[in-house]
Amino acid sequence: MSRGSVDLSVTIGSLQLPYPTLMASGCYGSGEEFEPFVDLAQIGAVVLKSVTRAPRLGNPMPRLVATPAGMLNAIGLQNPGIDWYLEHEVAKFAKRPSAVIGSVAAFSVDDYAYVTERLAARDEIAAIELNISCPNVASEGETFACDPDLTAKVVRAVRGVTGKTLIVKLSPNVTDLAAIAASAEAAGADALAVINTLRGMSIDVNAWKPRLGNVTGGLSGPAIRPVAVLAVYEAARAVAIPIIGQGGIETISDALEFFLAGASAIAIGTANFTDPRIPVRIVDELRDYLTARGHSSLSEIVGKANVGFATPFQYEGGEG
Amino acid sequence: MPNGPSVRDVRVLDRTELAPGVVLLGFYAPELVAVTRPGQFVMAIPPSGERAATALAIYEAQGERASLLFFICGARTRELAELRTGDTLSITGPLGNGFDVNGARNVAIVAGGVGIASVLLPAQMLIEQGARVRLFYGARSENFLVDRERFERAGCELCCATDDGSFGHAGFITELLAAAEDKPDLIIACGPSPMLRATAFVASELGVRAQLSLEETFACGVGGCWGCVVPLDRKSSQAPRFPAPANGGDFVYARVCKEGPVFWAHELRW
Ligand SMILES: Cc1cc2nc3c(=O)[nH]c(=O)nc-3n(C[C@H](O)[C@H](O)[C@H](O)COP(=O)(O)OP(=O)(O)OC[C@H]3O[C@@H](n4cnc5c(N)ncnc54)[C@H](O)[C@@H]3O)c2cc1C
Ligand SMILES: Cc1cc2nc3c(=O)[nH]c(=O)nc-3n(C[C@H](O)[C@H](O)[C@H](O)COP(=O)(O)O)c2cc1C
Ligand code: FES
Repeated sequence: MSRGSVDLSVTIGSLQLPYPTLMASGCYGSGEEFEPFVDLAQIGAVVLKSVTRAPRLGNPMPRLVATPAGMLNAIGLQNPGIDWYLEHEVAKFAKRPSAVIGSVAAFSVDDYAYVTERLAARDEIAAIELNISCPNVASEGETFACDPDLTAKVVRAVRGVTGKTLIVKLSPNVTDLAAIAASAEAAGADALAVINTLRGMSIDVNAWKPRLGNVTGGLSGPAIRPVAVLAVYEAARAVAIPIIGQGGIETISDALEFFLAGASAIAIGTANFTDPRIPVRIVDELRDYLTARGHSSLSEIVGKANVGFATPFQYEGGEG
Repeated sequence: MPNGPSVRDVRVLDRTELAPGVVLLGFYAPELVAVTRPGQFVMAIPPSGERAATALAIYEAQGERASLLFFICGARTRELAELRTGDTLSITGPLGNGFDVNGARNVAIVAGGVGIASVLLPAQMLIEQGARVRLFYGARSENFLVDRERFERAGCELCCATDDGSFGHAGFITELLAAAEDKPDLIIACGPSPMLRATAFVASELGVRAQLSLEETFACGVGGCWGCVVPLDRKSSQAPRFPAPANGGDFVYARVCKEGPVFWAHELRW
């Protein structure tokens, strides 16, 4: 089979992407920042940094700490607010060679709906991702993703204001991710993004103080990959809508774990900081992998590790 | 000929240990040299590719060879320090805005420790422009006043200080700057943040404009993550002026990697 004949395209709601690789929200600016280093036409989609109703200054510095196999960040949703964003930013996304997905964050159901309605009204925005799971805004942000009823409430409200593809981004910082995934699906989500960062903290033992200005932050990178793979596996068992797997993906083999666990697409965040060529490399190697195994499309392997694997008994048995 | 930043694999040409734990790594990168401006940096990716990239100033850029000068201080710099002639590493750059030295006639350059890595290119450019350049160079001890002959050969006048008094003035380098008789028309500086703060203070006392190259922890290095910010004075800063949130009006956060790493001292909120 020739290399070019493998179908890597993916459908997420009504959104068709030529490649299954999304650039994770908050890690890729508007795409423009990476343009000198990557051919954006070879990127599935760029998920923009989350935008809120009012401008936000973000958290005090330092906002980043390197940790073993990953990093902690506490940016705190710095953004200029939806008004300025619509006026100054959005028009330039029209020229992007890859799809652009808007990300919305808020602190009330009304604000989620308000920001989504205004952002989704713009042609430059191909789909909306709801960030109901940012760990860096104290107690404000994460409550939605931690409660199935609140998740349903916010998803229903947003569903009511846009027909565009709606992706709901889940938090790993919960006890029952499957219940929240099912709740988001039932309320009208077209897809799930699994997972956002894990809450974490690092302390400077010389200065006796937290390393982050915000005290706590979100852990990303390879350190969270096994957690993310399990979350995708659990979500995939609970819903029928596509899942965008993310958390520490750096190589083709990392990406395959996510596809086999049930992700239809993947998002890459922290790995772009290591080497901006990684997303394109993963697509090339994915094509080779599928070709070598005689597959004609990526969809043939999605969720295959789910088949006949853990029985509920094994699965509930824990790891002790 | 590429005319902007890019990411590429480059071959190591030479590696020298200038002092214990201080490494000079030369590599073949004519395209990088062709577009580098003084004060810019690269994200250097060790060959294992497993670790995050490290921000390092472009120390030399001439002909086909560029080099990085760094202190081994953690896992990533240790990995870079293990490279040998013929090995490859990946380089993303040149990144950031450099120093603005146009028109300066009499310049004081202040460098602390590894801050020296950012100031060779501006020193060379200034001397080419016919400016008088004095290098105020401070370090822990004489051992760590690395590569100063190169600055002398380039035509800089050298004033040195060491913390332990083993060479030059015993004390802070900014004390020499404050005591200098001939007032410069521009100060540029790179080093640890207490030194930069002291430099900004001396500059304002002297009534001289100063450009400071800041260091922050970087993740992306290209402006995509907003992780590397510093607060700038809203009124005097050139940084993009987003609307102010209701609760915080008088400063803006600018990205050190994108709007910097060089900022005018009067823009910074310490
Ligand atoms: C624009 C820019 C240009 C730069 N240019 C250069 C350059 O040319 N040369 C260069 O050497 N560096 C330069 N740096 C700094 C360099 O990026 C970092 O020093 C480097 O990333 C450290 O990497 P590492 O992984 O080896 O260390 P890390 O793994 O990050 O570890 C550094 C270690 O040092 C410790 N540490 C840091 N500061 C202190 C302190 N004050 N006291 C005690 N412990 C401390 C940390 O806790 C950590 O354990 C530059 C930075 C920027 C932003
Ligand atoms: C610096 C940084 C900023 C982030 N900002 C956002 C954000 O604004 N909105 C969001 O939904 N997720 C944000 N995230 C989470 C990422 O989109 C991604 O879900 C997470 O980092 C896991 O993927 P990774 O390990 O590949 O980075 C951020 C992550 C990082 C590292
Ligand atoms: S390091 Fe990402 S914006 Fe500066």
